[in-house]
Amino acid sequence: MGQYLPIFALLVLAALFAAISFVASRLLNPPRPTPAKVSPYECGIVDQTEPPERFPVRFFLIAMIFIVFDIEIIFFYPFTLVYAELGGFGLVAIAIFSAAVFESFLYLISNGALDWGPAKRLRRSRLASMPARTTRSTIRRVGTEGREVPAGEAA
Amino acid sequence: MSLLAAASATTTFDVPANVVFAVLAVGMVTAAIRVVTTKNIVHAALWLVVVLGGNGIVYLLLQAEFVAMTQFLVYLGAIIVLFLFGIMLTRAPLGRSDDLDNNQRPLGVLVGVVLLAVVGFSLARQWGRDTLSFAAYQGGGAAGGNGRTQALANSIFGEYLIPFEVVSVLLLAALIGAIVLARRD
Amino acid sequence: MDPLLSGGIGLSEILIVLLKVVVAFAGLMVGVMAMVWFERKLVADMQNRIGPNRAGPFGILQTLADGIKLFFKEDLQPERSDPFVFKLAPYLALVPAFLVFTVIPIAGNFSDGQDGVVTLFGHETLMQVADPQMGILFVLAMSSVAVYGVMLAGWSSGSKYPLLGSVRASAQMVSYEAALGLSVATVLLFAGTLSTNGIVASQAGWRWNIWMTLLVPFVVFVIAATAELNRPPFDLVEAEQELVGGFHTEYSSIRFALFFLAEFMNTVTMSAVIVTLFLGGPSGPIPSGAPGWVQDFLLPLIYFFAKLLVFLFVFVWFRATLPRFRYDQLMDLGWKFLIPLALGWFLILTAIKVARDQGWNPVVAGAVAALAVVVGGLLLRSSIRAAEDKDFDAVDPADLDGAGA
Repeated sequence: MGQYLPIFALLVLAALFAAISFVASRLLNPPRPTPAKVSPYECGIVDQTEPPERFPVRFFLIAMIFIVFDIEIIFFYPFTLVYAELGGFGLVAIAIFSAAVFESFLYLISNGALDWGPAKRLRRSRLASMPARTTRSTIRRVGTEGREVPAGEAA
Repeated sequence: MSLLAAASATTTFDVPANVVFAVLAVGMVTAAIRVVTTKNIVHAALWLVVVLGGNGIVYLLLQAEFVAMTQFLVYLGAIIVLFLFGIMLTRAPLGRSDDLDNNQRPLGVLVGVVLLAVVGFSLARQWGRDTLSFAAYQGGGAAGGNGRTQALANSIFGEYLIPFEVVSVLLLAALIGAIVLARRD
Repeated sequence: MDPLLSGGIGLSEILIVLLKVVVAFAGLMVGVMAMVWFERKLVADMQNRIGPNRAGPFGILQTLADGIKLFFKEDLQPERSDPFVFKLAPYLALVPAFLVFTVIPIAGNFSDGQDGVVTLFGHETLMQVADPQMGILFVLAMSSVAVYGVMLAGWSSGSKYPLLGSVRASAQMVSYEAALGLSVATVLLFAGTLSTNGIVASQAGWRWNIWMTLLVPFVVFVIAATAELNRPPFDLVEAEQELVGGFHTEYSSIRFALFFLAEFMNTVTMSAVIVTLFLGGPSGPIPSGAPGWVQDFLLPLIYFFAKLLVFLFVFVWFRATLPRFRYDQLMDLGWKFLIPLALGWFLILTAIKVARDQGWNPVVAGAVAALAVVVGGLLLRSSIRAAEDKDFDAVDPADLDGAGA
């Protein structure tokens, strides 16, 4: 525990530094709030809506898979201290453990839990490689109704 | 704490460690009460950080450094972050919410008392009047200071190998649960 | 373990500890100021600009001037904010940034199997503020605590851009922390200890981990560290075009200064961690005939700062050169490439090391492990494909087709 004493001392020093800075800043320039100053930043326009209260569930899954890997890492560290004594037995133990953790990772990935945004899907999708799909068939031309089709494009 | 270790090498009562523990314990109990009484759900998660962080420092006081760091890394670094994400993807309003309470208080009290009884009984049964010698732990083993962590590693990969491997299955189950909750389509 | 604190602690030990702490604090502050100046000047050079050149020679006092200016700025608190958490967040960002540096060995003689112990005022000690047994785990623990500063700053501001920035940032930071931890595990295979002093000592005599671990963990670590620091090209946290200033949009005056300080301090300490883990920290060739202070302090300090400067330069170079990632690319790189790669590399190296110890043929063991890892990689690839196809199948082709027919 004595080894952590200097860390604690630096913690106190850093916190003191931050606190003294706050006080100094307060004294040097006391806050004079006005409604315009304290309103949320909105690039200059008046704020119309509340900040969002809900976020995509993927963030939750990220935190979940992070816990899984964090625990795996936590077990790896003591393993690195004793793997020389354990020999082949330890190698098998850690391989089984890694395979089991990796399997849950694969499960998560194959469920699409770590996919963000549609761009990649379309790039690799069968739709993109279908011969019937061209720029002429997929992009809707607005405002071309009733117009003469130029001779060059008719082909 | 080895501040007075040289003086108290023969006793088992380490004064600084006990003082620190007393201060920590009061702080942790206060924080734990605030977890359930605060009216803001994000504040509740933050009070829980205080409780879990204090827990980590208690492990440090008991010279269990690896467990302490695991506590910081897994509980503070991952589990509370998961809680905060969980709160944010349902709702995390600023200010007070008045609907954080429900009618399960008696059940909560009951669970708390039962847990206390179980933990207290098993501690008393396991250790009884045994005393922990702080002085014996000073210096932390000769070989590069790895002694206790190595002992821990040896028991994970020896005596407790099966639980260690089962942990990975438990993690898989947790993940499947998360996916099922997340993708209801 | 620092020999200074292993025995009883008296007044002289406490004074030495306090001296070290104050020196580390002052050194970090000066280092951060120098780093900010270095980055601005270097980016300016790379972009064919002049950069700061007014305050002091070569503009070196520019950071100090900016800091003093921020003291005189008004400290605003948005009306919708959560007052307590809003004030707490800068502390949560700054304090871990300071603490990580405590476990970095910056000097001491590590040549010829020496353990870097120096004599300071008649006491044996190490040239690092503290050397807990769990040094490297402490670094990881602090970098996970640093997530709170970012996350709570964004949430408590009660404003849109900070909230979006902080949710993005915290997901990014936890993602890359896993890659960071896995590549550190590979280093530990070669060090056999978690103490930073022990890790440096194990690399003495040019047995630097950067080539002992065959480069891959080093590359993974540098990329993951860049993402963990939210530095370009991974600075989605403050992608100006989308999020204004990111999680600290609503912060002004000294509170903003503390976030800024923490960011650059993290850059410096993370470079120092890379040097410690992969480049042997302060170790290097030391002539045995030199006087003690040259062996213990001068040469190791020069080596350490030279190596540190290389990484500081690299971080700035990244910023000046690489365009910002898109969020899905960022997540894919972390989860679908770096983490599996680091995990596989760890297993292959473990197999080779165990084979060496047991007298098996290391080439065969490595090949078998590599084969298993490749199979894992193929499974991963097919999982990624499966996810893409699954999502695609959910869309009826008839909805997309024939729209323009």
